[in-house]
Amino acid sequence: MSLAGLSLRLRIFLFFAALALGNVAALVAGLVYGYTKLGEPDLLDGFLIGGTVAGFVILGLVVAVWFLFDENVAKPIERLAGGMRARTHAEVVAELDQTAGRYLGDLAPAAAAVTQHLAETRSALTEAVQRETTRLAREKERLEALLSDVPVGVLLCTADHQLVFYNGQAVDLLGGAHAPGLDRRVFDYLHQPPISHAYARLIETDDPDAASDLLCATTADGKVLAARMRLLSEGEDHHLTARPGYVLTLRDVSGDMRAHASREQLMDELFDRIRRPAAALQSLTGVLTADDGPTGAARDRVREAARSEAAHLAQAIHTLFERHEQNRADWWPLAMIRASDLGEAVRARVEAEGGALLAVAAPLMLRCEGFEMVALLAGLAARLEGRSDLRLEISEDGAGAMIALEWTGAPVAIGALERWLDAPLETGLAGVTGRSVLVSHASEIWPERLGEGRARLCIPLREARRSVKRPKPVPRKVVYDFDLLGQSREAEFAATPLERLTYVVFDTETTGLLPSEGDEIVQIAAVRIVNGRRVESEVFDTLVNPGRRIPPASTEIHGISDAMVEDAPDIVDVGRRFHKFVEGAVLVAHNAPFDMEFLRRKELAIGLNFDNPILDTVLLSAVVFGQSETHSLDALTHRLGITIPEEARHTAIGDTVATADAFLKLMPALKARGLATFGDVVAEVRKHGRLIKDLNG
Amino acid sequence: MAGGSKPRVLIVEDEDNIAIALDYLMSREGYEHDRIASGAGALERIRDTRPDLVLLDVMLPEVSGYEICQEVRADRGLAGVKILLMTARGSAMERRKGLALGADGFIAKPFELKELREEVHRLLEAGATP
Repeated sequence: MSLAGLSLRLRIFLFFAALALGNVAALVAGLVYGYTKLGEPDLLDGFLIGGTVAGFVILGLVVAVWFLFDENVAKPIERLAGGMRARTHAEVVAELDQTAGRYLGDLAPAAAAVTQHLAETRSALTEAVQRETTRLAREKERLEALLSDVPVGVLLCTADHQLVFYNGQAVDLLGGAHAPGLDRRVFDYLHQPPISHAYARLIETDDPDAASDLLCATTADGKVLAARMRLLSEGEDHHLTARPGYVLTLRDVSGDMRAHASREQLMDELFDRIRRPAAALQSLTGVLTADDGPTGAARDRVREAARSEAAHLAQAIHTLFERHEQNRADWWPLAMIRASDLGEAVRARVEAEGGALLAVAAPLMLRCEGFEMVALLAGLAARLEGRSDLRLEISEDGAGAMIALEWTGAPVAIGALERWLDAPLETGLAGVTGRSVLVSHASEIWPERLGEGRARLCIPLREARRSVKRPKPVPRKVVYDFDLLGQSREAEFAATPLERLTYVVFDTETTGLLPSEGDEIVQIAAVRIVNGRRVESEVFDTLVNPGRRIPPASTEIHGISDAMVEDAPDIVDVGRRFHKFVEGAVLVAHNAPFDMEFLRRKELAIGLNFDNPILDTVLLSAVVFGQSETHSLDALTHRLGITIPEEARHTAIGDTVATADAFLKLMPALKARGLATFGDVVAEVRKHGRLIKDLNG
Repeated sequence: MAGGSKPRVLIVEDEDNIAIALDYLMSREGYEHDRIASGAGALERIRDTRPDLVLLDVMLPEVSGYEICQEVRADRGLAGVKILLMTARGSAMERRKGLALGADGFIAKPFELKELREEVHRLLEAGATP
């Protein structure tokens, strides 16, 4: 062992010990030399006594100096060094104690100055980072709110067409049975050709600002969406690959196209059904009015034919008009708006112009173009200026609603009302009059006299429904992980770093423990882990009708009863959806063989194989904590400091989330053991294979 | 309707061909009838002649049928005059509007003469037995 490895105090002690030893050795050597030179044996006692006394004096002096040196130099240096280390690495902020180092000259004050400066710099830096982090977090929140609120679906994809961002509207639009998920291919939700073509077109144009409009259809239900694609510029996209990702904005145009198609169809039918009787009538009238026209029975026949054709014509006009009336509201882009919101908007508009109006609305949702209707009602209220007790009441009226504008006084003359309707409204839109608003709503307006000297204007709306309570807020959150943009796709699982893989952690609840004896799945829950993060909004949680009774003992464990699964889909339906959810991911479960056994027995019925790679948290726990530990989910989560809320315990989703969180904590522990890739982990797990069967091959 | 005498009907219709048919029908039913082609003088005529029934077209030049209907109903002296509105569109909304404005009956064009005749009978009988 070299001296450098010893502590400062020990080295100083050894130095003084050597000094003392050297002095004593020199003294003894000098005395021996002097004594031999004199050659007088009588003087030996004198030499011995003198030598002993001198030796002790020398030793005493050396010990004294060592002690002073140890106390005043070595110990203070160690203390000072410790203090500096604590301030450097452990972020201790107290000022350095200088009294211990008072014999070290300027060293202690210099060290104090250095640590003080370090502390100041560090706190300034921390403050700056804190400030910047807060600012960024605020901006991020604003952007999230903005993007979750835009009325179009927004998707952001990598060059490989993997989703890295989507908002709530996109979830609604892509919809169907499969909600979108991060790191999934966009083609799971939208048909590929138009998107691939648009992408290729944009890459070819080589213009960073170019956008491409396209029509695409959802894979789930064939809904037609109008989309706009724009490439991500180099600056936004910290990609490793040379090709940029893209943004896709989506808007549902199925309704527009349906309306267009139905209008076309009605027009075709209109001409078709009118042309024939009109032609027949013309011919028959020609016959009847001819100078040498038919007589007697022949004339009666022609007359009857003319009468019947006229009746057909009238009938055709009536039925087609009826259909036109029914469809007309559909042809206009009318949304459902809350009656109280409409009332409030009119009131606010009237008050802004110095008027007063009381708005009373039944709890209804109205199918109506809010902006135009507000303009019409506010315009009418302005015309009624001067009449007292103006009141807007929106009430239920058959399948629709009645909007009534009341006042105290005489009814409005309908002639005046019709002139008002012909004047343009203050909408900022050319050509919008009160009459055009009524036409687009397939409605009418009329005055009525009420009792007690009051009168009103009535505008019926064809379609409204009761809104008992506000609909449950749809999770409108935006979901994203921009780090995915920088990832290139690794085809080979084995060589992929653990945190780069997408995982689906899942758990099942069953009717019992023995699938071989007819036990079945009653619930499947799963969550996705993308880029080392559990995606909160991407959850699979569904009950399954097992097609048999659930034993009470099992119901007691997971709380799922026969009644709860009565209307649930069967395993074939759920299995297909689950297969879609786990596509391309590594499956993770606690005691995976149990859950996989239930799933694999159903592969034939489902018509799909669950051939994903599999990790078992029981085995991972054995790798990290050793085989002698207990590896139950409770023991594992307890060891990792994860708490499962009591109400969530033994529910499929509660256990799934706990398993996922445990897995996320096991990942760095596996890496610390040098198991960085999926292949490394599988190889290590196989060594623990004696514990439980490994399912990867 | 004066007891024993013929019912008197006023036709307010701007389309001549329809007016011909209506004239014919009213004659055949034995009603005393008269026609005016514009909305402008219609109200005056109703006030002057106080017919038992007005066959009132909605889409009239100058003054609409709705307007005439509203005015007639606002005049207490004309309470006995029945109004049968005739519209070219016949939507449910129009029907409600017409009835709200005080019309006693409503018929959509094109109509069968038989249909009209029944409606006229109904209104005149209702008026005859208050």
